[in-house]
Amino acid sequence: MEGMTAPPDDCLARNEWICGAYLSSRREILRDAVLQHLHLTVVSVLVALVVAVPLAVAARRLRWAAGPVLGLTTVLYTIPSLAMFSLLLPVYGLSATLVIAGLALYSLTLLVRNILAGLRAVPEETRQAARGMGYGPVRLLLAVELPLALPTAMAGLRIATVSAVSLATIGAIVGFGGLGNLIYSGMNTYFKAQVLTASVLCVVIAVAADLLLLFVQRLLTPWTRRGGRPGRAGPRRAPAPPKPAESAEPTGPTEPAQRTEPVA
Amino acid sequence: MRRPRRAPAPPGRPPEASARRAPGPGTVCRAPDRPAGRTPGRSARRRAVLAGLLLALTGCATGPSLENRGQVTAPPGDSRDLTIGTAGFTESELLARMYALLLRRAGYRTGILTVTNRELYEPALESGRIDVVPEYAATFADWLNAKANGPDAATVGSPDLTATMTALRRLAAPRGLTVLEPGRAVDQNAFAVTETYAREHRLRNLSDLGRAGLPVRLAAGDECVRRPYCAPGLRRVYAIDITAVDPKGVGTTQAKQAVRDGRDQLVLTTTTDATLDGFGLVLLADDKHLQNADYLVPVVNRARAGGPGVARALNALRPVLTTADLAALNEQVDSWRRLPEDVARDYLTAKGLLP
Repeated sequence: MEGMTAPPDDCLARNEWICGAYLSSRREILRDAVLQHLHLTVVSVLVALVVAVPLAVAARRLRWAAGPVLGLTTVLYTIPSLAMFSLLLPVYGLSATLVIAGLALYSLTLLVRNILAGLRAVPEETRQAARGMGYGPVRLLLAVELPLALPTAMAGLRIATVSAVSLATIGAIVGFGGLGNLIYSGMNTYFKAQVLTASVLCVVIAVAADLLLLFVQRLLTPWTRRGGRPGRAGPRRAPAPPKPAESAEPTGPTEPAQRTEPVA
Repeated sequence: MRRPRRAPAPPGRPPEASARRAPGPGTVCRAPDRPAGRTPGRSARRRAVLAGLLLALTGCATGPSLENRGQVTAPPGDSRDLTIGTAGFTESELLARMYALLLRRAGYRTGILTVTNRELYEPALESGRIDVVPEYAATFADWLNAKANGPDAATVGSPDLTATMTALRRLAAPRGLTVLEPGRAVDQNAFAVTETYAREHRLRNLSDLGRAGLPVRLAAGDECVRRPYCAPGLRRVYAIDITAVDPKGVGTTQAKQAVRDGRDQLVLTTTTDATLDGFGLVLLADDKHLQNADYLVPVVNRARAGGPGVARALNALRPVLTTADLAALNEQVDSWRRLPEDVARDYLTAKGLLP
């Protein structure tokens, strides 16, 4: 049978790192892996965002809620990823939902901390000024606090997204790891072209997602942009967002306070 | 009867996305409890640790859950939509592809789900998330035995295929699993020497090597020192003078090179290893049947795929696929890096099982 014939002499059989035949013969596989990877990442981060915003707002509004919310999400973050998927396995079975749930739980920590840091960084004077202008609690939140928390929150979102892109590969243990499926199988057979191609695609997705979110952030927070309104005095904030908060202490920006009026 | 048929499908779950994965992980990630995969030691250890961790953590999910127990006594079912599970290494993936192609030909819709190890896919097979899995008779029997009776239970897999199949079916039935008939292909541990060495000492089987009374250094995994099928068995059953076990891994390139270069004389590999020619190595027959009957056998979830339709479709492969064929197919995927699906389809077509 075919096995008796001489091995073909191409870059696949020679196991080269960069191999055009790999790209052409696996085009569909690569496309599906990228789509699955994007699906896992986007859905998990969106789910985490939907959960994180109310949690962070609750932790800001209700003094007693801050401790438990931060504590719980931090504990979740410390669970090793392999263990996380195993713990969720009885709930979700072998499915993409299992991976999405795991990734969402990890993203939750980063998002809650950063949104909360952003909210806490809104100066009390700004809030009082808004109240003085007749803002109710909902309008205060939507029109003043959340916009001012955006740069810090977006920094958290960017980190959460990039983390999710890389963590999604672990989903390969249950067959839903996007590009991780290819990296995992490639590592086991020392399939150089596959490992390199899938890894590079992973990095490309992470960088593209980060740049996209940076762009979105700049669209959403025009007041932080360089070359804003002329005549602005004092040092300007760099377009890059501040570092994400490492602790519960408010480390977020304080400057946007002066810029409240245009937003409201 | 309350029986969750499948894990709730998430929106947009793409079975085909994983179905069209590229070549499976190869030789390394045979389910870790397999007596001998072609597993380099370090990787095997890492994998064993990982599997142990997963096993410990998923302990509460193993065995039919209360909702599932009805399934155990359920009559054989015949779902038209089947998921075939693979353990991710090349041989498992090739078999899964062949099963999928044969079942599709027989009118079933099929998807493939690749899971890294038995600890994950066996519970899924019991629950009906996965419907068909290619298994190794003796290894799977011992695995189920350990699951039912604890890790220290006496082994039930043996070199005797009939006894092994009986034990396997006895263990599988209460879990709602049906074991179909084994075929001709068997993936056993096997021992190889260089062609020149075999010619010089007139060796055809392991008994010849024992009679020759030669001092033999054995290239194998480090667990070989203790495993009954390995160094102890070679000494006891064949009276081979094993002077040392060189821990180079089971069937790794380094192990074969060591034998080719004369540093070791004997190498432990598997019967489906197609790369022996390339190293100038030949297998010595296991004439006293030291190795377990690890025949390839499809295991199905009875309630979803236990009907005659699936058995008929998969039985077509039984008289066709030989150990040598499997070795050649493994080589096309592992060494030539062809797509397992293409290799499986070409093979079935060449054998007249597909149009």
